Amino acid sequence: MHMADALITPAVGGVMMAVSAGAIGYSVKKVKEELDDKKVPLMGVMGAFVFAGQMINFTIPATGSSGHIGGGLLLAALLGPYAAFLVISAVLVIQALFFADGGLLALGCNIFNLGFFACFIAYPFIYKQIINKSFTPKRITIGAIIAVIAGLQLGAFSVVLQTLISGITELPFASFALLMQPIHLAIGLIEGIATAAVLCFVLKSSPTLLDGNVTVEGESTNMRKKTVTILLIAALIIGGFVSWFASGYPDGLEWSMERVAGTAELEAEGSTYHAAAGIQENTAFLPDYGFKDGGESSALAGTSVSGMIGGGITLSVACLAGFIITRFRKKVKCNECQS
Amino acid sequence: MSKLTESINRIQSLEELADGKTAIHCIHPMAKLITTIFFLVVVISFDKYSISGLIPFFTYPILLMAFGEIPYRSVLTRLIVALPFSFFAGLSNPFFDRETALILLGIPVSWGILSFLSIILKTVLTVMAVLILIATTSMDKLAYQMIRIKIPKIFVMQIMLTYRYLTLLIKEASDMITAYHLRSSRQKGIRLAHAGTFMGQLLLRSFERAEKVYVAMKCRGFNGEYHFASSERMRRGDYLYGLFVCTAFLLMRGINLSRIVGSIFV
Repeated sequence: MHMADALITPAVGGVMMAVSAGAIGYSVKKVKEELDDKKVPLMGVMGAFVFAGQMINFTIPATGSSGHIGGGLLLAALLGPYAAFLVISAVLVIQALFFADGGLLALGCNIFNLGFFACFIAYPFIYKQIINKSFTPKRITIGAIIAVIAGLQLGAFSVVLQTLISGITELPFASFALLMQPIHLAIGLIEGIATAAVLCFVLKSSPTLLDGNVTVEGESTNMRKKTVTILLIAALIIGGFVSWFASGYPDGLEWSMERVAGTAELEAEGSTYHAAAGIQENTAFLPDYGFKDGGESSALAGTSVSGMIGGGITLSVACLAGFIITRFRKKVKCNECQS
Repeated sequence: MSKLTESINRIQSLEELADGKTAIHCIHPMAKLITTIFFLVVVISFDKYSISGLIPFFTYPILLMAFGEIPYRSVLTRLIVALPFSFFAGLSNPFFDRETALILLGIPVSWGILSFLSIILKTVLTVMAVLILIATTSMDKLAYQMIRIKIPKIFVMQIMLTYRYLTLLIKEASDMITAYHLRSSRQKGIRLAHAGTFMGQLLLRSFERAEKVYVAMKCRGFNGEYHFASSERMRRGDYLYGLFVCTAFLLMRGINLSRIVGSIFV
């Protein structure tokens, strides 16, 4: 569910980065208030734990598929939501830098989708409410499963929205949502079961680790208010940005057509047009008869041919330069070694 | 488990690469960080059908890999792992956006195919840029720059500690998996029924390790403050590098170099 840089626009990336940065700033403030220096290495090790945990797949009997723990809710149940949010964000930063799992500009999106919902929605409003301060295996199991599923559903829906607003892919809202939500229901169920199992194990073997999260009466309602405020602000910012962008730019397709129509270079050729139409009829994958008149499309073909050839040449020159530099450096090194 | 060992190898190989002494390694980390982010923004700011405009941007990763002595193979293998997500997300475009955009050598090409190719190009460029940054700049130096751009210290510390313990915990997990498999010879993978005890064990071991780390840190005078090694100041060359590279990106964003080169030949 990691968003890639290529699928978002700078505006969406920037807004989500700002929202996530705000949430990180607030968490830092909260963690600082209650931080004893013992928690510092603990948080670091827990980040590494989640990282390693996500690589361990558990096989699901009779299906042939497998799943792993997600981490967000598990961390929240052990460290509290603020510390957990920082830990999961740090994990996402490392995944983006070293493993190309999600882009650097999409980091805001990923922190929001995978961290915010688990730590600030699913944990306080679902998990904690179901546990209701009595830590029994049954409550932990039900709470963890429902909370993980809810967190993932929200995250998946957020991915759909971010992709849709960016408009880089053509997936219609309904089909994309219908694709994402059920898949993440299944993933959430497995993740939820695994998370519940780990928490039950901790309850049995070292229950004090869970106790840290029993908060004083009143604090949860206070936090609820704050969460709602953060959400409202986020909604306002996103809403404002989207409408601004929607009005500022015409439809991407229109814009491209407009731009292209102004730079006509080549004339349409009848035979290629018909040959192309013949191929189109036989293949569903290839485009249908969409363009209004031959002139416009061939104009694009003209600029595109030069673009393609030019691009090819540019790329070749760049590759050649790279090759020469590498060879030259190796040669220099060899000479140095010999002398 | 190969996935675990592979990830350890990956981190270690990137760390070794970052230790290099080439011209690219010597550029101030801040200049590299800014140019990388600028590159990413410029690349993803192209509209969804751009292809020829994106191609000149390959000059940047190619030259950096050549000057930075980064083996092409390590970047390319990582690229193959990162591509599928964008590939499948973009795969819908040719199906939904089927209006013909142009006819190329007798083959009709739809807008969907153009935007799909554009997504792939953008993915390749953005992934390469980030990998090159991390292969030429050590994590410690990056961490210090993060603090300089006012990312909360406690968060940077969190990133650094996670990064430090990663290899240790992956190794721990890998040992546990080997032990598990030795005791269940005919079984593929770890059963979901054992998830609780397995992950729980790993968790308890992690807590134990954190405890030991804390004691060790305390013995060395840790009082909640983590000190990051400060780096050198930016020199004139670093400023020039940043300025030159960013201007080049802006020029390439404004002028379609491919089309100009192409029009000479067509």
